[in-house]
Amino acid sequence: MSAIDPTEIFRQEASELFEVLEGALLDLGLRPDDRELVDSAFRALHTIKGSGAMFGFDKVASFTHEFETAFDRVRKGEIKPTQELISVALAAKDYIRALIEDPQSTDDVIGDAILDDLRRFVSSDQPVAPVAEIAEAPPLAPGESNQAGWHLYLEFESHVLRNGSNPLDLLEDLCKLGPCFVVPVTDGIPFLDELEPDDCYLKWDVKLHAACDKDAIDDVFMFVQDEMKLTLSPLEQIEAPPPMPLFQLLDEEPVPMAEMRALVVEAAAPVAAPPAAKAEPKSESNPEPKPESKRDDRGIATVRVQAERLDELMDRVGELVIAQARLTQLAASGSDLSIKMIAEEIERLASSLRDTTIGARMVPIGSLFGRFRRLIHDLSRDLSKPVEFVTTGEDTELDKTMIECLADPLVHLIRNAIDHGIEDTATRSANGKTEQGRIELAAVHSGAQVLVTVKDNGGGLNTARIRAKAEEQGLIAAGAVLTDHEIHQFLFHPGFSTAQTISALSGRGVGMDVVKRTIENMRGTIDLSTRPGQGTTVTLRLPLTLAIIEGLLIRVGEGRYIIPLSAVEECVELTADDERSRGRNFLNVRGNLVPFLRLREIMTASGAPDRHQKTIIISTGESRVGLVVDQIIGNHQTVIKSLSKLHSDVTIFSGATILGDGTAALILDVAQLVALAQSKIEKQHISEAA
Amino acid sequence: MALNPTEPKWSLRLPADCSIAAIRNVYELIREAFGRQERLEIDCSSVDKADVTSIQLLLSTARTGEAQGRPVVLTSFSQSLRNTLRRAGFASEAMIDQHFPQKKDGV
Repeated sequence: MSAIDPTEIFRQEASELFEVLEGALLDLGLRPDDRELVDSAFRALHTIKGSGAMFGFDKVASFTHEFETAFDRVRKGEIKPTQELISVALAAKDYIRALIEDPQSTDDVIGDAILDDLRRFVSSDQPVAPVAEIAEAPPLAPGESNQAGWHLYLEFESHVLRNGSNPLDLLEDLCKLGPCFVVPVTDGIPFLDELEPDDCYLKWDVKLHAACDKDAIDDVFMFVQDEMKLTLSPLEQIEAPPPMPLFQLLDEEPVPMAEMRALVVEAAAPVAAPPAAKAEPKSESNPEPKPESKRDDRGIATVRVQAERLDELMDRVGELVIAQARLTQLAASGSDLSIKMIAEEIERLASSLRDTTIGARMVPIGSLFGRFRRLIHDLSRDLSKPVEFVTTGEDTELDKTMIECLADPLVHLIRNAIDHGIEDTATRSANGKTEQGRIELAAVHSGAQVLVTVKDNGGGLNTARIRAKAEEQGLIAAGAVLTDHEIHQFLFHPGFSTAQTISALSGRGVGMDVVKRTIENMRGTIDLSTRPGQGTTVTLRLPLTLAIIEGLLIRVGEGRYIIPLSAVEECVELTADDERSRGRNFLNVRGNLVPFLRLREIMTASGAPDRHQKTIIISTGESRVGLVVDQIIGNHQTVIKSLSKLHSDVTIFSGATILGDGTAALILDVAQLVALAQSKIEKQHISEAA
Repeated sequence: MALNPTEPKWSLRLPADCSIAAIRNVYELIREAFGRQERLEIDCSSVDKADVTSIQLLLSTARTGEAQGRPVVLTSFSQSLRNTLRRAGFASEAMIDQHFPQKKDGV
C-alpha cells in the first residue's frame, strides 16, 4: 500500500473547510446578526491556519492569520458584515485556496491588495451593530457580578494538536483578558514507550484575575470547544496579590530568571487533580459536556477512502454479480438441490453487497448545491439582479460519479435562469413582482430516480420568439402545428439561442444541447415547463447510480435486451384489437391512448413473432410509450458495461451487460426510444394531414 | 541532530525543528539513543521551533529516565525552547528545574 502524502490530506481537509467557510460567509451576507455563522467561519479559518502551519504552508498560515485579524471586528460584533465585506472575504478565501492548490498562480501583490481591502472595510466607520444586538450574552447570575476572576481547568482531547490547534496560543489569548497565573499539569505524561508524540497530554490550571464575563472566556476557546473540557468556576476572593500577566512578561523578554521567580506566587508543584474533581456545587462546567466515550465513537464514525478504491470495489461487485448470475443459471439447469440452495444464498449475499457498495458511493447532493451559492452570489452582483437562492432536499443522495457529472449542467441551467429568466429590477417592479428574483434548486427521490429541479420566478420562456427562431433556422416549416412543449424542445437544438445579445454568460446557443447530452449520457432525461410571466422549471430525472441497475430482461426474436426497471410503468398484453391496428400504433390503456413501437421492426428481428406479444409501458417525464416484445424474461441485476467507440452512433442503446450464460445483452436507451416514437407519431400526423 | 559517541557521555543534539511537524522523528531519535546509552545528555541549544509536543517529549524522556534509574540530563536550553516553556506555564526556574533535569553549567 502506498504511503499517504500528509500534504494531500491537508489539501482534502482544506477543501472541505473552504466549503464551510464559503457557506458561512454567504449565509452571513443574508443573516449578518447570526453569531453562529461568524463562529463557524472563524473555526474554519483557524483550522486552515493551524493545519497550514503544521504542514509547512507558511504563506497560507500567515495570510489566514492576517485575514482572521482583519475580520476580528466582525467576530467581536463591532461591525456588521456588509455585502462588500463578504465579497472581499470571499476573494480572500479564493486566494487562500489558490495558495494551497496552485501556489504558482498566486502573487503577493494580489494577496496584499485583498488584505488591504479587508482592513479598509473593517476599519471604516460602518454602522455599528446596535448595542442590544451585541449584548446577546446572558446577564451574569447574582453573585457573579462582583467576582474577582475565574478559576479554569483546561483539558484537551488527545488529537487536538493534530487538528492544528495550539493550546499555547489559547493560553496567550486568555492572558489578554487580564492577569493570569498558569500552572501546567504534567501528571498525564506517559513514559516514552507509551507516548504518542503528537497527542496532547498536558493540562492547565489557570487563575484569571479579571472581572470579565464568562462569554469572553468562551470566546477564547470557541474553536476548540468540541475538543476540550473547560471547567470554569468563579474565584471567591483574591488570596494573594494577582501576579503580573505572564505574557506581558514574555513581550518584554529577556526577563531575568530571578525576577521571574519572584513573580510566581504559588508553589511550583503540579496540580494533582483538577478542581472539577472536588465537585463544588458552584462550579460551572461547559454547557452539557459530552461523555468521553461518545466523543471517541465520533472519532471513528467516518473513514476517508480514496474515490478510486470505491470505483474498484464497484467493479469487483459488478464482476461478482455476473459470476453469481452464471452460477444461478447453472444451478437452475441441474437437479442438485444443495447447489441450488448455495446459488440462492450467494444471490442474496451478492444483492446485499451490491446495495451496500452502492450505498457507500452515495453522496448527499447538498455538497454540490453548496457550490452554486457562490455562483449565484457573483452573478447576482455582476448582473445587478438581486436573487434569492433557495435549496431543498440537500440530503438526497446520488452516486458520487453522478454528482461529478451533474455540476456542469447545473451551472449552465443556473446561469441561464439568472441571465435570461430573471428580469431586471425595473421590469419586475413594473410587472408587480418583488425586485428580488428567486431561484430554487431542489432534489427529491422518485422511485429509483432522483428529480433535480431548477426553478426561477422570472419571465418564463418566450414561446413565440423560440418558434420564430426555429422557423428562421429552418428547423420547422412556417405555420407548422406544434404544441408549446414541442416548440420548447428546440432550445436543446445545437446552436439554438434566442438571446439578442451575446453576454459573457450565455447567448451563444452553446449550452442547453450540451446539458441535454450530458444528462442523457447519465441515462437521465431533461424536461422544461414554463408559465409566461411566472417563471421556468427545468426538471432533470436521474438514475441513482451509473454502475449497476435493476433491469427488465426481455427477448425480441433471438436477441435479449434490458430495459431499466426505473422506466417501466407496467406490462400489458397486446390484444387482438391492437394487433389489427397496424399502421395506427396506439394502445388503449384504461382509456388513454399510448403510442407503441414494435421492437421486432426496430431490431429487424428474424423468424416468426411469438403468438402472444407483450407490451411494456415505459415513461420518461410526461411521455409514455409502449414497447412490443416477444417475451418478458424477468428482473435482472444489470452491471452496465460501456459500448465501444464503434457503437457510439447507435443511439437506442445506452450500454451492454453480460448475462448468466456469458452472452451479452444490450441495454435500451429509454429516452431515445421515446423520442423515436414521438418522431414516428409526427410523421404519421403529417401523412394523415396530407 | 547528532549523536556524539566520542565524548565521555553520549550526547544527543536536538534538531532545530522540534515542533509537531517533526516531533515523530525527534521521538524516534530519543528512543534510539535511550536504547543505547546508560546515561543520556540531550543538548537543546539548536532548538528553534518548539511547541507543546516538544515539552511533552522532554518531560516523558525525563520521567522515563528517572523511573529506569538511567539519568537523563538536558543542557543548553535555547531561547526559543525557554519561551515555549514559559508560554506553557513553566514560568519559573524552579519549575523548570523540577520537571527537566538540567546540567547547570549548560543552562
